[in-house]
Amino acid sequence: MSSVKQILLTPLFENNPIALQILGVCSALAVTTQLSVTLVMCVALTTVTAFSNLFISMIRNQMPSSIRIIVQMTIIASLVIAVDQFLQAFAYEISKNLSVFVGLIITNCIVMGRAEAFAMKNPPVLSFLDGIGNGMGYSLVLIVVASVRELFGSGSLLGFQILPLIENGGWYQANGLMLLSPSAFFIIGFFIWAVRSVKKDQVEAREFRMASQSTPDGAF
Amino acid sequence: MSSKDSTKRTLIVAFSLCVVCSIIVSGTAVILKPMQDANRILDRNKNILSAAGLFDSQQDGDEVVAERFSQFSTYVIDLNEQRVLGEEQLEQLQIDIDGYDQRLVINDPNYSEALERQKDIANIKRRVIYPMIYVVTENQEIETIVVPVSGYGLWGILYGFLALEGDANTVKGLAFYELKETPGLGAEVSNPRWTALWPGKKIYDEVGEVGLRVIKGQGSGDYQIDGLSGATLTTRGVDNLIQYWLGDDAYGPILAQLRETGLQTND
Amino acid sequence: MGLRRVLDDIEPHFNKGGRYESWYALFEAVDTIFYTPSKVTVAEPHVRDGIDLKRVMITVWFAAFFPMFYGMFNIGFQANSAIVAMGLEGSGDWHEIIIAALAGHDPSSIWDNFVYGAAHYIPIYLVVFLVGGFWEVLFAMKRGHEINEGFFVTSILFTLIVPPDIPLWQAALGISFGVVVGKEVFGGTGKNFLNPALTGRAFLFFAYAPQMSGDSVWTAIDGFSGATPLSQIAAEGLPAIAVATGRGLSWLDAFFGQMQGSIGETSTLAILLGACVLLVTRIASWRIMLGVFFGMCATATLFNFIGSDTNPAFATPWYWHFVLGGFAFGMVFMATDPVSASMTSTGKWIFGALIGFMIVLIRVVNPAYPEGTMLAILFANLFAPLIDYFVVKANISRRRARGVL
Repeated sequence: MSSVKQILLTPLFENNPIALQILGVCSALAVTTQLSVTLVMCVALTTVTAFSNLFISMIRNQMPSSIRIIVQMTIIASLVIAVDQFLQAFAYEISKNLSVFVGLIITNCIVMGRAEAFAMKNPPVLSFLDGIGNGMGYSLVLIVVASVRELFGSGSLLGFQILPLIENGGWYQANGLMLLSPSAFFIIGFFIWAVRSVKKDQVEAREFRMASQSTPDGAF
Repeated sequence: MSSKDSTKRTLIVAFSLCVVCSIIVSGTAVILKPMQDANRILDRNKNILSAAGLFDSQQDGDEVVAERFSQFSTYVIDLNEQRVLGEEQLEQLQIDIDGYDQRLVINDPNYSEALERQKDIANIKRRVIYPMIYVVTENQEIETIVVPVSGYGLWGILYGFLALEGDANTVKGLAFYELKETPGLGAEVSNPRWTALWPGKKIYDEVGEVGLRVIKGQGSGDYQIDGLSGATLTTRGVDNLIQYWLGDDAYGPILAQLRETGLQTND
Repeated sequence: MGLRRVLDDIEPHFNKGGRYESWYALFEAVDTIFYTPSKVTVAEPHVRDGIDLKRVMITVWFAAFFPMFYGMFNIGFQANSAIVAMGLEGSGDWHEIIIAALAGHDPSSIWDNFVYGAAHYIPIYLVVFLVGGFWEVLFAMKRGHEINEGFFVTSILFTLIVPPDIPLWQAALGISFGVVVGKEVFGGTGKNFLNPALTGRAFLFFAYAPQMSGDSVWTAIDGFSGATPLSQIAAEGLPAIAVATGRGLSWLDAFFGQMQGSIGETSTLAILLGACVLLVTRIASWRIMLGVFFGMCATATLFNFIGSDTNPAFATPWYWHFVLGGFAFGMVFMATDPVSASMTSTGKWIFGALIGFMIVLIRVVNPAYPEGTMLAILFANLFAPLIDYFVVKANISRRRARGVL
């Protein structure tokens, strides 16, 4: 049982796909201006990752290695198209906001990475859980980023006004940078900073050390 | 060579995978298409209603859209011939009013045309020759006219609907539903506080020219609207869009017809 | 010396293992403010020079006094002119309490103008200095590096490139971003690749665009609106430019700085005086300054030559680009920041020319941004290491070809 728990929980902080592996960052910049849109994106990505892992793991023993990657891509792409169709039918407003980024899940390295790294070597149920876990790791970062961006950029969370804006007679001056994609870079950066201050083992080793110029001990 | 890597095996796996995946993909697409189309039309109708001031996304739910939109009648007009098309002409053009989406035919040479540079005030490069207009009539009297408008702002084309009163001269409302302007600056064109400046403004001056201007600074009177501060180019884009679409090359003559002779289709 | 003895007595408490170990950075800062540090370079290579980082920074700080004092005068001059022209009572906010106690609103009185400007500038500077200093000290304590005089420069430069009517909380936020994200996350002074003052300014520019690039912030009167010359050029072309009161703006007005703009950027003359100090003391690189200048001239002339029917900004000649907006200030104080600029001599020319080119390109071609100095310098900062890399590579291969290496 502990291995199930481990598969589900390590991608949250220990081995977060965005914060440690730096995968799937592009959608984290694009879809995080509104929390509601982000949540749908997270569900979509988690679903795709979990099911692509499941299906790929199910046929992993039948899969000829020469067309392995193509098979994986086909499965992932079909799932993504299906998810996109569902969103257009049942969550039209949000799917309009997500525009191409649902389709771009196909190219999200997390999905492909988990398929190749985990699902090809593990049984279906564990693979499915691994997909859920990695989806949650991705979702965690996106939700943090989107909460900060929506709260400070529009003064609201999930559409509910929390900080009343000056334009509407309140006191809060909306921060326009938060509505632009580069702000997500800063927030992801701060997130990584926070994770690594707690989990020091994630900090990369220094490539070099500058010698001190005024104290002899560091110099030689 | 292990059995799983044999050519035969590879072909079988590839083939069956393709079959299964294509069934899944086409199945979802076909089954969900009616719902998607309904959503698209619902969304468009919502935008039309909000331009006419009949829908507030903060308060109203989707359920009121169908009922409120039912008072609108949809017409397709011909911008080159300057007339409202009747059923026969629609049939000739193979336009089915319920399924027709003028945004989708923008690159189809049968339905749209490139604009000459000096005539292209709104900087949109191409326009649909047969746009749809939406009219509310009460006892043969026109109450509201909603026309689609588009124009280049700062970063991209703004798409919206402009609603006019029955006199085809007084603005009832303006709503943009798709834009790429800077959040907090140009994107404020869709802020209700700014669009609230529009209702009641007049479009055509005494000599019948478009007199309505969006200007920088303090707009005053019946013909002027305050531009957005800090968004000069978006403001200018909206101004150009008004000059173009309400001018002689676009809806101007049609609106004049509606004003003088009421709604008549040319069959 | 009594103070020396006091400092020496308490020093052990701040050293490693002492009671106030984490406060060492503050102790060191106080110590070096009063006394020259006794530390000397032990590792190779040795450079014997009378100038150290501290003296470099303080000289830049003093050089920035020219535009700063002129800026204070000009804030008052612009505002008082507008007050008289519009028949207002005063600045219309809390600053008026201070101003009314010391001076009137006569635009021809230097004293009145200066008081008006000081009442606006000094609060901004204090906020920037205290908030920025707080982050500097916090990181120095946590990271165990010393508090650096570079912050004096960052703080004064930052205050000189913001609009005079900036709300104080925005100034605080901007400098926080500049110091933390622009400098400290990369390890502090000397390790940043962006100019911290410009990083903070860019943050404000994108975060509070309606305030930072709108028309209402350039004159320090509540609710007063007037566009800067550059946004007038972008909108209507050179002949349209006028000062806030509606009078046309001559080139000499712009050169002396009698126009609206960010606090320290208006007067090209005052900035050039500062440039003289920096060049005589050899602190700023003349190569970078000339590179920026010639890059701008060449690009501006090229655009004049190309011409455009729809974009009036194409026709702006180089001598107007030179005196408008943040060009002169950016060229003298921002581009020459030794940390974020190129290091090699050839690299400095290329780095400068890139800035000059980008400034004109953004000003003229990008319709959204009438001013491009800040973005151009930040852009070139990113390329500085790459430029150096290629210059060094070219050097190596040239020498190898000569057979010397």
